[in-house]
Amino acid sequence: MSTGGAPLLAVEGLSMTFGALKAVQDLSFTVHDGEILGIIGPNGAGKTTAVNAISGTFKPTAGRVTFDGHLVTGFAPHRLAELGLVRTYQATTVYGTQTVRENCRRGAFLHLYPGFFDALISSAKARAMRAAVEKEIDRLLDWLGLAQFADTEARNLPYGVQKTLGMAIAMAARPRLIMLDEPVAGLSAEETDHVRDTIKRIRASGISAIVIDHNMRFISGLCDRVLVIHHGQELAIGTPAEVMSHPDVIEAYLGKGHAAATAKANHAAPGH
Amino acid sequence: MSPQAPLSLGAAPPRTMPGAGLLAISALAGAVLLAWPIVFQGSFLVYIATLVMQFSIGACSLQLIIRTGHISMSHQAFVGIGGYTSVILVMKAGWAWHFALLAAIAAPALAGAVIGPILLRLTGKYFVLVTFLFGEIVRLVFIDWQSMTGGSNGIFEIPKPYPWMNDPTAYYYVSLGFAVACVGFCIRLMRSEIGRAIDAMREGPNLTECAGVPVFRIKVVMFIIACGLSGVMGSLNAHMNNVITPGNYGPMESLNLVVMNVLGGMTNMAGAIIGAVFLIALPELLRGYVEWQRVFYGIILIVVMASMPGGMVELLARLRSRLTGREAHLASAVAAEGRT
Repeated sequence: MSTGGAPLLAVEGLSMTFGALKAVQDLSFTVHDGEILGIIGPNGAGKTTAVNAISGTFKPTAGRVTFDGHLVTGFAPHRLAELGLVRTYQATTVYGTQTVRENCRRGAFLHLYPGFFDALISSAKARAMRAAVEKEIDRLLDWLGLAQFADTEARNLPYGVQKTLGMAIAMAARPRLIMLDEPVAGLSAEETDHVRDTIKRIRASGISAIVIDHNMRFISGLCDRVLVIHHGQELAIGTPAEVMSHPDVIEAYLGKGHAAATAKANHAAPGH
Repeated sequence: MSPQAPLSLGAAPPRTMPGAGLLAISALAGAVLLAWPIVFQGSFLVYIATLVMQFSIGACSLQLIIRTGHISMSHQAFVGIGGYTSVILVMKAGWAWHFALLAAIAAPALAGAVIGPILLRLTGKYFVLVTFLFGEIVRLVFIDWQSMTGGSNGIFEIPKPYPWMNDPTAYYYVSLGFAVACVGFCIRLMRSEIGRAIDAMREGPNLTECAGVPVFRIKVVMFIIACGLSGVMGSLNAHMNNVITPGNYGPMESLNLVVMNVLGGMTNMAGAIIGAVFLIALPELLRGYVEWQRVFYGIILIVVMASMPGGMVELLARLRSRLTGREAHLASAVAAEGRT
């Protein structure tokens, strides 16, 4: 997998308006192979809308999305998944009534489906694909520490484990880029650390990630670069350190007075 | 259950491999089905069983649509399109029945291909309402297109497909053959990877689409297949009854097919068959009490829906788990899910 060169995902001038509401305005960013990009912003800043516009849930009002050299603006989610761009949702992340293993099988549709007639007669091709996916799922469950829950129904799992399963389902599709919408919402600090480690391991296996959250501590401990969105627009983009010292970001997060105070403190020379 | 699912249709039961018990039950059922017209030769029961075969095709094909998360109230209209196509081609165009049957599959499938992509964009109660209206429109077409359909009087003196099928036993076996083929096809389809995707999309449409499943395309294809299969029931039923009238294909009759699925269990083909047996046999058993029929119907429906949201299949699963002492692993799972 190459690093550098052309970005895996390029978003240019993405806008999404609903009537008079400009939910996302002129957003541009890139994600390279093996990179984790964080998207952060206060509630209602347009983070999820931006992801929805990229992932085909909505057709963007304006802008271009390029994935792996293909122009994919407004593509339906299933076509993006075929190309290797898979997302998770904030709310619905697992199939509650199914076992962990069956959840993963459902995620692996692209690698299980041999074509209509092969599926219907359960041909040699269908059986070979099934065997290969079962092996892959075994590996995946082991890797994510879910093996002990393989035959447990998803709704009986602790919430934190369900979140991990949500990532396992996405991983079963064998993506090149995974978009995680608030993967740690509602998790304890310990569970949050676990999810962060999992995402780091996913990246270590060569998969890029976009992680959306409003928790600066979580995002800065995880991401290579961070995009801060405010009122649907880019406020800042850069490494976590750059972004966190950006006066506009501090102002948006902590208020105007704080920004001024911080700026003063930063500029305060030792002689004063 | 995802927030997108507007009607709770229940989750798929766990996928299991057929065990020895299931094989034994299938063998027993096969023996009963084959022996039925011999044991009850010349009895009304042969006719009832033939009717059950035909309605099993209708109920199981409807389940293909229901499993995708859409309760269609116009399925009997497609049965009617198949029936009229077959009868008109045999009687007015002089086609041999086997060719007319192919047309009776193609015509509703074509109608489904035209109307499906429009209707399937609706979900939940809106889909139910619009399919209800569509069923009514088709019924009105059957009434108003007098030159072709004979209007509200319908078409009389429909010949049997072949002269040898004047024998009710022969008709029974032919219907049994088609029922086994059609129901077998539905079962096979739902046990395949396509079936897995269908059950997944009902329980979490967004999540499924992100796994690369072309959700809408699969819904449309299932709708077309289901409509095509329903034509088999239409043709077999019309030629058996010797008469075809629009009254048999209205929304209320479509509701009957839905109720078969609800009663038996909507997430299991066996449920659709059990529902068909129940709803065809019951009115015949209650023939002496015509005025009470609908009351019994209503009571049974309410009891089943209130206490067994998974349908009668759930009741069987409960009984089985009690018998084998495996306390309610399967049954409670089905039951609990139905209530959420």
